[in-house]
Amino acid sequence: MKKILTTGLIAGCILFILSYGGLFLAVRFFPALFVAYNNPLFNSDGSRDILFYMHAFIISFALSWFWDRFKPLFKGGFMTRGLEFGLVYAVIALVPVMWISFSSLDITVATVLSWLLYGTIQAIIAGVVFAKVNP
Amino acid sequence: MISKSSSLSVNGTTNVNKFSCVIPNYDKVDTLSLSTGKIGHGVDLSGSIGLSISAFDCHNSGMTKQLQKTLDEKQFPLLRIKFLSLNQMPILTARPEAITGQVEIELAGVSKRFEVNYQITQNDQKSIHLLGTREINFSDFNLVPPRKLGGMIQTKDQLNVDFTLIMKAMD
Repeated sequence: MKKILTTGLIAGCILFILSYGGLFLAVRFFPALFVAYNNPLFNSDGSRDILFYMHAFIISFALSWFWDRFKPLFKGGFMTRGLEFGLVYAVIALVPVMWISFSSLDITVATVLSWLLYGTIQAIIAGVVFAKVNP
Repeated sequence: MISKSSSLSVNGTTNVNKFSCVIPNYDKVDTLSLSTGKIGHGVDLSGSIGLSISAFDCHNSGMTKQLQKTLDEKQFPLLRIKFLSLNQMPILTARPEAITGQVEIELAGVSKRFEVNYQITQNDQKSIHLLGTREINFSDFNLVPPRKLGGMIQTKDQLNVDFTLIMKAMD
């Protein structure tokens, strides 16, 4: 349990920096991709900012538990194991969620694909960290 | 008499785009009365226009819905502009004349007075075109500009409001 929490915390810190740093840079250099967020569908009063910024830790702790349960199934070097882990997560969790999101929310294909890419990259980074710290 | 082809636009910026929201056609007929001011050369005005917030079109359905939500359209469905005065009696010609005037803008339940810059002209068909421009802030009306994704996408407080009144003089 301690290993799951420690690994989750390490991955959470790394994801926090990379995810929000990447998002900040993407907003700065590719502003057109973010115009669709000016929509009441997305919270606009700042009341949920703390929850938004906690996301890196929520996904890291969840994936850390998942990794600890199923890590023997992922073979090869730490990069390969991390990559496969991220892709498995994308297929079993992200694709169905993105599917239902696109079918039920007033969002564009580009927005859904960007979420899929963002989540997949997060899971791959987390997987590489887990494979290195908790092999 | 203010005609139905009068319009209003609100222009603003976020850190990812610019937006222009328009009420293209005023859906009522109203009157604006002029009388010589009591002091100096000013002109007193009486009359107002009430614009439906739901009539705003930002040329993007998400932006339109966002503006209507930010302006609290459900509770305050009208943007009202009350015309109070002009700094001088306008000379109605085809050449634009720059004048200023006072208006009271009521938005989201808050009323505030502003000085507005006008350009006034009259065409061959005797239609009077009054173009008013003014910078306002969301915060002037106790409104909070929307922010998204934990503040990474932010709307600037300042808005430029332009309105065009097309009027016919009545005796």
